[in-house]
Amino acid sequence: MEILAQLIVSGIALGMIYALIAFGYQLTFATSGTLNFGQGEALMLGALVGLTLVGHMSYWLMIPLVLVFGALQGIFVERVGVQPAIKTKSEFGWIMTTISLAIIFKNVAENVWGHDDITFPSPLPTSPLQFMGIRVLPMEILVVVGALAIMLAVELFNRKSIYGKAVVATSNDRDAAGLMGINTGMVITFSYALSSMTAAFAGVLIAPLTLTGSTMGVVLGLKAFSVAIIGGLNSGMGVIVGGLILGIAETTTGYYVSTGYKDVPGLLLLLLVLAIKPSGIFGKSVIKKV
Amino acid sequence: MNIKLKSIVAAIAFAASCSAFAADPIKIGVSGPFTGGSSPMGVSMRDGARLATAEINAKGGVMGRKIELVERDDQAENGRGVQVAQELINKERVVATVGYINTGVSLASQRFYQEARIPVINNVSTGSLVTKQFLPPEFADNYIFRNAANDSIQSAMIVKQAIDVNKYTKVAILADSTNYGQLGRADLEKALAAKNITPVAVEKFNVKDVDMTAQLLKAKEAGAQAILTYAIGPELAQIANGMEKLGWKVPMIGSWTLSMGNFIDNAGKNGEGAHMPQTFIQEPNTPKRKAFIDAYLKAYNPANGRIPSPVSAAQGYDSMYILAAAIKQAGDTDGVKIRQALENLQDKVDGVVTNYDHPFTHDDHEAITMNMVVMGKVQDGHVVYANAADKANAVREKDMGKAKK
Repeated sequence: MEILAQLIVSGIALGMIYALIAFGYQLTFATSGTLNFGQGEALMLGALVGLTLVGHMSYWLMIPLVLVFGALQGIFVERVGVQPAIKTKSEFGWIMTTISLAIIFKNVAENVWGHDDITFPSPLPTSPLQFMGIRVLPMEILVVVGALAIMLAVELFNRKSIYGKAVVATSNDRDAAGLMGINTGMVITFSYALSSMTAAFAGVLIAPLTLTGSTMGVVLGLKAFSVAIIGGLNSGMGVIVGGLILGIAETTTGYYVSTGYKDVPGLLLLLLVLAIKPSGIFGKSVIKKV
Repeated sequence: MNIKLKSIVAAIAFAASCSAFAADPIKIGVSGPFTGGSSPMGVSMRDGARLATAEINAKGGVMGRKIELVERDDQAENGRGVQVAQELINKERVVATVGYINTGVSLASQRFYQEARIPVINNVSTGSLVTKQFLPPEFADNYIFRNAANDSIQSAMIVKQAIDVNKYTKVAILADSTNYGQLGRADLEKALAAKNITPVAVEKFNVKDVDMTAQLLKAKEAGAQAILTYAIGPELAQIANGMEKLGWKVPMIGSWTLSMGNFIDNAGKNGEGAHMPQTFIQEPNTPKRKAFIDAYLKAYNPANGRIPSPVSAAQGYDSMYILAAAIKQAGDTDGVKIRQALENLQDKVDGVVTNYDHPFTHDDHEAITMNMVVMGKVQDGHVVYANAADKANAVREKDMGKAKK
């Protein structure tokens, strides 16, 4: 029983990392119907910028700066890669541009920070806490709390503030929102800023647990994408549940079946969801009007 | 003819006569990962080879010709390694190649050298299969050589340390899912079976995995007294750090990659005491080694005065000297003649790892035997000798009895 609990706790920490990155996919999809396939690289850049800053200031002071950097990076991606594609009504142009921007970011990071994996100094003690025989690292708790906090903050912003309402309106019907005087182009840029900001935040949250390096985002970005598909690309609840399912499935399969097969249940689930409910477990199916 | 044209003609004639005197350099390929997770090994190997080349050229080169290294980054990727091999053979026309850090890249790329009859000296990659891809009767001659401790040697030493020295009866194996990890795992299982021991857990993980809880919990629940590893630095660090998280600390004994800087740095205190087989430890216990370490530190000035991968640097350095001796003996840059010279090397080569006295024969392409390899351990962020006796008895020559077997 203790082992199962330990596996679930580790799975939750892992799952929340996936969920936070998947949340970023969802933010841009809601407003513009496009995704930033460089989400993993946004996370990597956030972590590396954080690593550089942390040499000059405390971890907590560094976080707001990384958030600002993430937002700027998101605006850059949207302006350079996505906006032209949306303007020309290109169906798939943004896929290629976001992927190629991701490759460029990775190469830039390799040139600036080198190729090796670097340790990120942990702001919290590295010895685990113990609750009834279950051991948790303080950093893992911070990941879960931090992920939930930023998702909650974004949701609250969308529901309560006037700007947030513009975002919601654009998600619901971009054309109608435009007719109501909402600058939808601005809203889409903003959603990209938010999306990369959460990814950069995820980067500095998980960096002390993993290692920091130019390739750290590749696998995480891919797994988060399957989380976004499993949970549903237009459901905030969906990415959390999808992340937890994938995280816990990985750790428990690793223990009870075989560590060689730990990625299989997640992929099976992905196939299953795509076959039965393509809009995701919590997704609303949308009829595309042509 | 005006003055300008005359001077140009004179200059061309002069240049032509000069190049006739200074013979073309001998081109030798260097293939290794200079970027990515394996780069500490690749870069150290390359720097060792550069150091040796500079020394050889300073003494007048080989056959009166300078050696020129043609270095290519294979990025530890099999496909990239194949491209590099084809470029070095067909475009650069190298006379031989040294290098290869990753077993998978070796296995994928060597075929082209074998077909082109150009010798390869593997100076780091350790897979047991590496020198055994092209054996008689299918292939009359094998062009693949090695001066690194192969996985059969390493796995036997790891098992000896765990079972005979530490008297453990329950061990777990953790290996990554690459060619390196899985071939090493098979060698470890074989070595354990020879001692009638079945590992209590055999677990696998992918490169870049960030959570080792499941693997470690299985080993812990099975009652493992030690963890035997086959992986590279960053993931090994995740294992060491994962054990700290689970509050379960057993010794780590594994392949030589536990000496990589990116394991030692990223694991920090959790990596202390890890044991691994080494052909060379950065300690100046012979004059040759002192000269090598001083020259390396002076030329490349690595952080904390620590060679990123001392074993790779030493083996990279030695491989160039062995090759130079063979070219000198062959008196020719033809691949077949260099191979024949390597297989019957008359001159003793005074290397960093050992003195190479007839390092290869026609049927034995392994320069390193078990008696040359020592156990190292991580202590205060450096790799040191695990047994003081090994430090005193530093240079051991090839065990011929074993080699003939």
